[in-house]
Amino acid sequence: MSDLDNQVREVKSSFDRAAGSTTTTDGLQELKVRYLGKKGALTVLLKSLKDLSPEERPLAGEVLNTLRDELERKIENKKQALTRAEDAAAEAMEKIDVTLPPRGRPAGAFHPVAQTMHEIVSIMQGLGYSVALGPEIEEDHYNFECLNMPSWHPARDMQDTFYLSNPEDAGSGSLLLRTHTSPVQIRSMLRYGAPLRIVCPGKVYRRDNDPTHSPMFNQLEGLLIEENVSFSILKGSLVELMNGFFGRELKNRFRASYFPFTEPSMELDIECVDCGGKNPGCRVCKGTGWLEVCGLGMVHPFVVRSGGIDPEKYNGFAFGMGLDRMAMLKYGINDLRYLFNGNVSYFLSGRNVS
Amino acid sequence: MIVSWQLLKQFIDLPASPEEAAVRLTMSGAEVDSIERPGAQISGVAVATVLSLERHPSKENLFVATLETGGKKAVCVTAATNLKAGDKVLYGAPGATLPEITPRGDVTSNKATLGLRDFGEVRSEGMMLSAAELGLPDVDIAEGILVLPEDAPVGTDALSLYGFGDVLLNVSVTPNRGDLLSILGVARELKGLYPDSVLKPMPWEEKTPGTEGWPVEFGAISLPDDGCLNYHLGLATNVKIFPSPVEVRVALAHLGMRPISNVVDATNYVMLLLGQPLHAFDLNTLPKREITVRSALEGEKIVTLDGKEHVLTAKDMLITSGKEGGPLTEPIALAGVMGGKQTGINDDTDVVVLEGASFSARRVGHTSRRLGIASEAAFRYSRGVDPTLSALGVDYALSLMSEWSGAGVGYKKLSASNAQPEPKPVILTKKKLHTYLLWSDMEESAKILEGYSIRQTENFESEYFGKHILAFVPPTWRPDIAIEEDLIEEIGRWRGYDASPVHLPGVLPRRGDLGPETSLAGTLRARALARGYVEAITYSFLPESFVSALHLPESDLRAHPLFLANPISQDWMAMRTTLLPGLLNGLKESVASGWRGPVRIFEIGRVFLRSAIQSTEHRELDVLAGLVYAGTDPRTPWPETRDDFFSVKADVLALLETRGRKASFVKGSEPFGHAGQTASIPGMGYLARLSPAIERELDFAGPVYVFELSLAALESAEKPVYTPGSPFPASFRDISMLVANDKTQDEVLAEIRASAGAGEGRKSSGEILESVKLFDIYSGKGIPEGYRSMAFSLCYRAFDRTLNDEEVDKIHNSVRDALSKKGYNMR
Repeated sequence: MSDLDNQVREVKSSFDRAAGSTTTTDGLQELKVRYLGKKGALTVLLKSLKDLSPEERPLAGEVLNTLRDELERKIENKKQALTRAEDAAAEAMEKIDVTLPPRGRPAGAFHPVAQTMHEIVSIMQGLGYSVALGPEIEEDHYNFECLNMPSWHPARDMQDTFYLSNPEDAGSGSLLLRTHTSPVQIRSMLRYGAPLRIVCPGKVYRRDNDPTHSPMFNQLEGLLIEENVSFSILKGSLVELMNGFFGRELKNRFRASYFPFTEPSMELDIECVDCGGKNPGCRVCKGTGWLEVCGLGMVHPFVVRSGGIDPEKYNGFAFGMGLDRMAMLKYGINDLRYLFNGNVSYFLSGRNVS
Repeated sequence: MIVSWQLLKQFIDLPASPEEAAVRLTMSGAEVDSIERPGAQISGVAVATVLSLERHPSKENLFVATLETGGKKAVCVTAATNLKAGDKVLYGAPGATLPEITPRGDVTSNKATLGLRDFGEVRSEGMMLSAAELGLPDVDIAEGILVLPEDAPVGTDALSLYGFGDVLLNVSVTPNRGDLLSILGVARELKGLYPDSVLKPMPWEEKTPGTEGWPVEFGAISLPDDGCLNYHLGLATNVKIFPSPVEVRVALAHLGMRPISNVVDATNYVMLLLGQPLHAFDLNTLPKREITVRSALEGEKIVTLDGKEHVLTAKDMLITSGKEGGPLTEPIALAGVMGGKQTGINDDTDVVVLEGASFSARRVGHTSRRLGIASEAAFRYSRGVDPTLSALGVDYALSLMSEWSGAGVGYKKLSASNAQPEPKPVILTKKKLHTYLLWSDMEESAKILEGYSIRQTENFESEYFGKHILAFVPPTWRPDIAIEEDLIEEIGRWRGYDASPVHLPGVLPRRGDLGPETSLAGTLRARALARGYVEAITYSFLPESFVSALHLPESDLRAHPLFLANPISQDWMAMRTTLLPGLLNGLKESVASGWRGPVRIFEIGRVFLRSAIQSTEHRELDVLAGLVYAGTDPRTPWPETRDDFFSVKADVLALLETRGRKASFVKGSEPFGHAGQTASIPGMGYLARLSPAIERELDFAGPVYVFELSLAALESAEKPVYTPGSPFPASFRDISMLVANDKTQDEVLAEIRASAGAGEGRKSSGEILESVKLFDIYSGKGIPEGYRSMAFSLCYRAFDRTLNDEEVDKIHNSVRDALSKKGYNMR
């Protein structure tokens, strides 16, 4: 018995010594084989059990089993510790500089005007407006005459026009670059009739070129034709549009104005999105506190009739705004010329990455 | 339109400051852009008398004046030569301030302060002033000091005299409100806006009708053209041409018109005050002493005051005077637009015939627009001038000429008129008023309209006439009031539109729909942005040279753009037939701005194509175009990140994939494409590298890849079909083979599939070959000329069982054998 005890003690202490000097998982595996393998020290002892008398065997078996459990536990613990250490060492070796530049393509950058258009049409979609589009090369008839702007009308002075043919020759059939998206309203009324709720985004063209006017710009107009339409729902539609687009409640005011195609006509001013009316030297609102953003009005009965709809039964309203101006206000862009030259460095400069 | 507050106050007593009135005008439709005080920088300037004037003791060309400045004396040195003792002048004492004037003569908003200044032994205390030094150069008559009238009160501050201290309102007048292009009109508008204000008697209401019989003979006025509603001629004899009084010159200068002479100034002054354009003829230059207002003949010509010759059409209207013995009267003015060169007044004019007329807004508008003449007269006539003002305007101007120059006036006018339009009553219904404004107080409405001189009339027949329907007659100066909506606008703008409640549109007639084009654009741009492209919007018009820059041949539809008839610049004259030039310009701009990294741009926009090369018909097509350039410095620490044809191909496929669409790329050709690197995507567009020649011509160092896709082709989307894979494991075998360079991968793939008995597209359940993937391609050492080695991984898998190795080997060997038989050299 004491012989076995001695052997157990011997195995245990030699194991502990060997384990103490083992520093790698590979070494540990070796150690495991040396003690618990087929020819391992403990295995040899276990095999020697069969040489004991049946009376001694159970007790000796228990001692050896306990020893085996102990060694296995120690190996497992040691293995975990060594794995942790080895992982840590490997991770330290594999350290990278996480501040290095990313690989592959960064995301692109949207055009502020296109983004503005998509945002506004989805706000208006929520109010039941559908998108209507039309040709950019228009006939005088749809661009002007249907909109209560005959050839002599002084309001045409406000919209100096690019023609594709001599307007003297072709008259109402003259081809021109549309000066507003209003002809889409006429075409939509003729096509769909009433009731009708549409927004018409698109490029428009006027013979103007200076720091605040581009010969090509982007507009969005809206039209609602239903029964018994009041000015109040025009206000509601526009207040939702502006607050939705700028993402907060903005003060507004509706000023009387004039457009040949609406009667009565107004203009919408919103509180300055830059200074909120608090900076007398503000370069965005020129110290007035107000920004003129939208022309609007109740559709002139002449125009309703041009659209093939009975103005005695239906009435409605229309509004129009410059998408470029809206984009410039939202994104604090102060020069129109940056918008149409496709310079990627300008558009990428707007992204929040270095 | 600039409104002088001082002149305005001659017409109305107003219980409001200029600032208050400006807000009220702005909110009710006459937007006041700015309020200016031109005398804001002037202080300490007062009237003085020149007591004596002597030559400077030592300095040639200088004079020393002793001034009486109101109880005090002052000494001033001046270089001016237009003074004499006894003259009244404006004098700025030391400490006085004036506007600072730039060397170019522009008046700034800064102040300059006067002081003491030594000229040799004489010390000058401040300065005697010219009008230019007060910021009004046009008011000066001669070089030198501004000489005031003899009765100018010595010691009185300049700002309280002659309008120097005026307040000016800059009003944007909308095209429907011609009546507001006058001080009188603005006064009437303010009368409507401020019910407590009082209009004063008009200046001409005190004038007498005049005596019969002109001292010079004058024949008939005939108006064969009904575009002239009425025509009046007044006469001024013994006219002497000299400058107008200083307060008139100041007023004209403030209102943006250059003072010229008493006669011209009188006509302009009346136009500014009343809104009635007038025209002065020199009687002695008229071809004959009679007037005919007629329409022009086609091709007839006139030379206007500004020296330009115009060719006319029958829609233009002329003032003419009969030529002795001639069959046709001779043009002397373009009616309502501009006078003729021959008959204008000059320094020797002594008899003036003054025209006051009413011309059709439409006719004048047509002529002025067509000829591009934006005269003050045409501007007013085309916006509507009160037809009752023409006679009154002549009277008022004649009385001013008499007052300012002692001209002989007081002769009864010669007049002619066509049928005058009857003012038509306009009805207002409570129902419509309420529909529009959600407010319908008819009594209050009538009061508001009355304030604007839009008067209620009983002269209107309706069975419902009464409480809910009223009729109104607009005054002669408001031709814009023609329909019920016009009345509602008057009421609405008076009340202020902020008074209306804010409601949302009610019941939806249908759901809001983005429509196919806008949703497609939204989807595609989201994908392009995610793949690293920058969105661009570029001009729809291009320089004509884009055709040659892209090497587009005559036979290409894109080489025949539509042209603008009136471009503003050669750079913007041809409608684009492709989006490429805009994107190439974007690339150029990017590189020029110093951007050295990769450039990826896309644009969704329209191109304009003729239906055929010779055709005048055209169509508009929406296109998505992209451009990729590796960059002038594409270096990064990472390998294999540089864009090339195949990375851009992946982008194109990713874009098509948003619509569930697959596409085949076949060898193609574009005039601007690299002959060996251009793919056509049948029915959809192309992907190409620019030809090396164009890359060189545009000065791009390195390949530029471009693609254009038709959005119409992408409008129909294919729904994705989802299929579970086989539950049984797959087996993989590789093959490597030599492929002739002119054989495409797609052709090889088709032959591999055919060899395995598999068809194109989706695998049917009996087919064992699931997929083939190219994983290596090699040419060079060990590969014969004209060939490349391609290695494919073939995936075999069945739907109903696990394939064993023997089975797979058997199929795979049969594939190899079949390919060998087709002539491939298997490796």
